[in-house]
Amino acid sequence: MSGADSTGRSASGGLSTRLLTRMIREEWRLQAELFGDRFAVFPLVVAAFGGIGVWLLTVTGTSMDAIAAGVHGLVFFFGLQVGTIGLVGRDALRDVLGDVTMLVFSARTLPVTWRRLLAIFMLKDLLYYSALFLAPLAVGYAAVALSSGVPATQVALLWLTTTGAFALGVGTSLTLAGVGTRSRAAVVALVGLLAVGIVTGHLDPATLSPYGFYSDPSVRTALTGFGPALALLALGPLAFEPVDSGVARSATDRYSRLRATIRDHDGVATRTVLEVARSSGSVWKVLFSMGVLFGVTVFLVREVASASTLTPSYGIAVGTLLGLGAFTTYSWVTQFDGAADYRRFPVSMDAVFAGKRRAYLLLSVPAGLVYLALALLWVPAGEVLIGAVVFPLVAVYVFGVTAYVTGFSPNELLFDTPLFVAFGAALALVSIPLIVAALAYGQAPTTATGVAIGVSVLAALVGIALARRAGPRWDRQLR
Amino acid sequence: MAAIETHDLTKRYRDLTALADLSLSVPEGELFGLLGPNGSGKTTTIEILTGQLDPTSGTASVLGHDPVDDHLAVREVVGILPEREDPPSFLTPREYLQFVGDVRGFDAVDDRIDEWADRLGFVEHLDTLSTDLSEGERQRVMLAQAFIHEPDLVFIDEPLVNLDPIMQAEVKDHMREYCERGNTLFLSTHFLEVAEELCTSVGIVRDGTLVAERDPREMDPDEQLLDYFRSEVQAAARRDGDHGGESPTSGPSVAPDDDESAVEATGEFDA
Repeated sequence: MSGADSTGRSASGGLSTRLLTRMIREEWRLQAELFGDRFAVFPLVVAAFGGIGVWLLTVTGTSMDAIAAGVHGLVFFFGLQVGTIGLVGRDALRDVLGDVTMLVFSARTLPVTWRRLLAIFMLKDLLYYSALFLAPLAVGYAAVALSSGVPATQVALLWLTTTGAFALGVGTSLTLAGVGTRSRAAVVALVGLLAVGIVTGHLDPATLSPYGFYSDPSVRTALTGFGPALALLALGPLAFEPVDSGVARSATDRYSRLRATIRDHDGVATRTVLEVARSSGSVWKVLFSMGVLFGVTVFLVREVASASTLTPSYGIAVGTLLGLGAFTTYSWVTQFDGAADYRRFPVSMDAVFAGKRRAYLLLSVPAGLVYLALALLWVPAGEVLIGAVVFPLVAVYVFGVTAYVTGFSPNELLFDTPLFVAFGAALALVSIPLIVAALAYGQAPTTATGVAIGVSVLAALVGIALARRAGPRWDRQLR
Repeated sequence: MAAIETHDLTKRYRDLTALADLSLSVPEGELFGLLGPNGSGKTTTIEILTGQLDPTSGTASVLGHDPVDDHLAVREVVGILPEREDPPSFLTPREYLQFVGDVRGFDAVDDRIDEWADRLGFVEHLDTLSTDLSEGERQRVMLAQAFIHEPDLVFIDEPLVNLDPIMQAEVKDHMREYCERGNTLFLSTHFLEVAEELCTSVGIVRDGTLVAERDPREMDPDEQLLDYFRSEVQAAARRDGDHGGESPTSGPSVAPDDDESAVEATGEFDA
């Protein structure tokens, strides 16, 4: 691999560069094999979606500063999701991509450490998403921002800082996963400390993220803004301890009791909940993912409220975003099995998706309601109640759309352009009126509430219909 | 009475033919082995017969049920062990077999779990997470799930893969006893010694076509199944060559120039 180099360091650096080049080539070939030419359109679609989204927000009176803050928040959240690959390691890729062998898994056969492979893999992902996802997003933003008087340098800066926000997200989840391989209690303590720091005001997430540099570029903000992301990216692979302990883990029988508790007839929901609960991060990853989305939403609503004359509804906004964020839970409930696992049993795909929906709701709804309850600390109960109605209904819609469009492979959305467009359009159809209702709540609370509940109920009905069709649709495709 | 009957079963994927006019009959109580080179259509045959895949044309009957129109009924009365499939990573064998009981809708599963764990030697691993089991132990659990509902017919794709020699012998004994009780086994295997030792009838399939059927017990003492297999496959290859036959593969994802097709083209196999 590294050849007979006289200096270990340069040989090592050369090896890393070659591995990075080959991983990029591998990624490209993988995409080409999976999706062919369709993948080439993906950046254009991201730019178009980004531009339309930014434009719609400006129509509602949201300032460009608030939009930029929101973009950073959402990209950070996306980075967190991508970084969770570290939570489940090889199984995740196998479930997403099938039975593939990739360079990142070659530590046992090549004279390269697992940590170096993981670090290079992360760098490859960072370059990949920065070029194919974040750059088009910046282009979409630029189309609106430049006409609104935002300087071109600021738009270029947005690309750099959103890449930093993405890196911060990836680094955070990977480091937490890495620490989790050594001590679960340490993860709980770290997350708790972070939460306490943010709530008490001792930690300012905006300053300690690349957004701080975006909003006030200086040497100091560059250090405070990018420093944590770089530190976490270095710490993640170091903290990771993938070595198999060799000890066969046993588990007490939870299946029967859980099945009886949730009155599960065919066991699909029970099996799914157990698999999520026993995988890395357990059910806490659902709570964590919803918590981050909750934090981002609250931050955005505050930004909008302070930068405009609007008084948005926390309840509707949080309910909508948490409902949309339940997509993450969908990917977890479909991560550990595939349609093939059920095709040898006398169970219809319809019943399988019904079981999956049950597991999805059992995991996501309580987690979302926890955060809506938390909002009671500063949001009026009536408004939270609206959110508590909107959230599960939107979650039902998200399940139906995702099941119908992607079946057991929700993560293909990230690569398959037609799927991405269909899915994005379906979500926009419901989320846009709901976000408008949230923004208009201060001016017309009754109408906004009516629209929010009406749209959510309608969406849930569509979601139920789509979920019912998902089973027969995928059954036909598989046969 | 035939447990399995097919007439002109054909499966095409665009311009690839995975199965071509396959007609066979497997009587009840038979231990039938389907042999063939890689990509010859063995797995496709099992997937069609168990209602996992629809044929492009032709008909099939499995224990009196049509696997196309009534695939859930077929899966209810048969057991299926696909090749290279593991129990769910984060369930223990006990929990997985409980799930199998639920999804198959039968009661008193706990007794059967203990019985099968004892028979296949994984009692001490019943409460171990499946992800921490060895490949052989996982295969034993998968064998248990195929038999635990006591079906009249079981389809197994490579039954002895990853099993140690002692467990292989025990599984072979079990399969013989199972068929002696009047049940039917349909095996797909690359291992000729398995077919030679166990099967009461073997079918040799090449390029999706049944090229020969034979009872290994009726072979001459100096005749080897390996030689018979090789001669039949090579004869079929020559016939195809004479008739300009196409070179099908086992599925849509297999490129014509991959290793499996290369194996087919030379008539070799990995026994």
